[in-house]
Amino acid sequence: MTWDITGMAAVANIGASPREIFAALCAGRESRKLLKVFDPAKYRAAYAYEIDDRPKGGDIPRRATGWLTTVVGQAAADAGLGEDLSQVPVLVGTTMREQRSLELWWRDDADVALEDLHFGTALKAAFGASTTYTFAGACAASLYTLGMATDLIELGIADTVVVAGTDAATESGFGTLDRVQNGIPDALRPFDATHKGMLMGEGAAAVVVQRAGTADAPVHARVRGVSMNCDAHHATAPDPDGITRAVRDAYRRAGVGAQDIDLVMLHGSGTPLGDLTESSVLRDIFHGAGASPPMTAIKAMTGHTLGGSGLLSLVMAVLAMKEGTVPPVLGLTDPIPEAAGLDLVQGAPASGDLTFAQINAFGFGGINAVAIVEAAR
Amino acid sequence: MIATSTTRMRNPNARREVVVTGVGLAVPGVATCGDLLRPLLGEGGFDSATGLRGRELRHKDRASRLALHAAAFALHDAGLTDADDVFTGAADSTAVVISTNLGNADSVCEAIDTITRDGVRGLSPLGLPQTSSNVIAGWVAIRYRLRGPNLTVCNGVTSGLDALAWARNLIVAQRAEAAVVVGVEPAGEVVTKILGEQSTDAAVAVVVEPADVAASRGARPRATITGYARAQNLAAALACAGVTDTQAVGLWLVDEAGAGSGHLLAAAHRIDLESQLGPLSGALGVLQCAAAAAHLDSGATGNVLATAGGAGHDATAALLLTPSPPPRPSRQERGHP
Repeated sequence: MTWDITGMAAVANIGASPREIFAALCAGRESRKLLKVFDPAKYRAAYAYEIDDRPKGGDIPRRATGWLTTVVGQAAADAGLGEDLSQVPVLVGTTMREQRSLELWWRDDADVALEDLHFGTALKAAFGASTTYTFAGACAASLYTLGMATDLIELGIADTVVVAGTDAATESGFGTLDRVQNGIPDALRPFDATHKGMLMGEGAAAVVVQRAGTADAPVHARVRGVSMNCDAHHATAPDPDGITRAVRDAYRRAGVGAQDIDLVMLHGSGTPLGDLTESSVLRDIFHGAGASPPMTAIKAMTGHTLGGSGLLSLVMAVLAMKEGTVPPVLGLTDPIPEAAGLDLVQGAPASGDLTFAQINAFGFGGINAVAIVEAAR
Repeated sequence: MIATSTTRMRNPNARREVVVTGVGLAVPGVATCGDLLRPLLGEGGFDSATGLRGRELRHKDRASRLALHAAAFALHDAGLTDADDVFTGAADSTAVVISTNLGNADSVCEAIDTITRDGVRGLSPLGLPQTSSNVIAGWVAIRYRLRGPNLTVCNGVTSGLDALAWARNLIVAQRAEAAVVVGVEPAGEVVTKILGEQSTDAAVAVVVEPADVAASRGARPRATITGYARAQNLAAALACAGVTDTQAVGLWLVDEAGAGSGHLLAAAHRIDLESQLGPLSGALGVLQCAAAAAHLDSGATGNVLATAGGAGHDATAALLLTPSPPPRPSRQERGHP
């Protein structure tokens, strides 16, 4: 079974639409900015990849919710669904939910209610949607929702599902990460020997998934299979066994092998252990499968957009397949030894005939999801 | 336009019934699931003062510790752990599904207070996992090496019922052979402030699995998850969940504040768990499932309907639980403590 992607939307620090973000990735200009939203004196890290949309005078609640409703509306419009989603399930994957709003409520007395912590409240108001779900799935969250959407369609529960991911940086998350990272990253540099860790980004992405053949809108790409599992190994560190199982399960579901993959969108969070683990697994997976497919890691420019990052990678993969162009990994000049043999795109965009893309997303709690998407031609 | 879209999540695959085979409680004042069916005396049950300590629980947030207790009881009840609390089921294909809204609220607000006061150098590195809202699911998976899908549903007051429905979906879609579903909310200063009422510790876990798998290993099914919907109001939720014969409902686990149109099921016996236990948030739906299992297991007549949400919330969820057929007579019924 395959599933049609008929609507896409995204917002990040480097653009307010998939096309803008893709163009910025291909242009490859430095996108990190000095940390603005939090008091820099309190942190060791000085840079982040924020969306600069706050009013003068400080932070406001519900920014993650605002991006979410924007991208869900745009993706629905792209798919020709209109503004009434009362009959369409909407699945939202997130790392932090509206924890930034919780922080502003607790410390600064911002006007935030319990019902604002999950996204159904806003989706009801904006689209009349009631079959809505907020899943906290760390940085695999939005690819998890894609997998669950394919299940809903396969089980005959729905023909059309909107999946999305959104996250705004939180002080507790940014701060605790800053506290534990050994080095102090001044940029997110996945797979480069200079990588020192992860820096947060912000953003949201949404995709409309439909039963094959039922859509009126043009099909952007086809979902071939999504795996989802858990390492059950460590609360924050990745595990090569769990990731390997996730990749192989995705191939099995998609009916493909490593030799069929034309593009890998890496999780690439820029942490030394994360990059080492992901590249080691991929070396094993692609060993004996011919020349390595091109691989890229968009967090080098978007920062780590957390819950929505997997879906943002997927949307970029769809555009890469449409354009036959793979954006480079910004700042990658000296790949780590474990990535030897992997075709990490450096310097300038690579071109090629791309049919199957693999998208990786791994998160805290040892949660892994891998999606296989096929170009629509 | 949308081609025959539907929001129903009812009986998606009649060939694979999903049943409840284990229940575990970590709720102060509630000793057994049967207690939930009677006026609570507020005695016995989980003792937070002593029950949250121990080597296994060190450095974990309060909600995770509560959840681990409830999960241990439920897995034991289902016959899926041995005498050393080691999981004996199919770990690679067992899912963890957590329902919580406020599980890490205290951790988040404590961290921001520390940063404001001392900067990030004042933070404990051990606090990293609980900055992410899925921390509880990770700890439960690690404790029992459960490597199937790992979900955390943070969906408001319907979360617990939603979590049970998603656990069933994972099983029917053959992503999991079993699931441990835990509804948990911790007591704490932040939780009390946001609820506007005194918060209480509450964790409840249920094990769900396909009826055929339960039968083949001789487990005793307590209830079958038969229908579910999350819809704009109670009437729509009941219709979509397949609750067409309201006369067949013997017990309605109701959210009286949200239900509004109570006349829809005037005949059924009604229990509002929150009227006795206070706000349960993400724990509510799973606790309703535990009460339903106790009701159906006691041989009482009628199906059980659990509802949550309604007025003041973004939706209403309904879950229909029906009696499970007894295990085949050729099988020895296993003992349950």
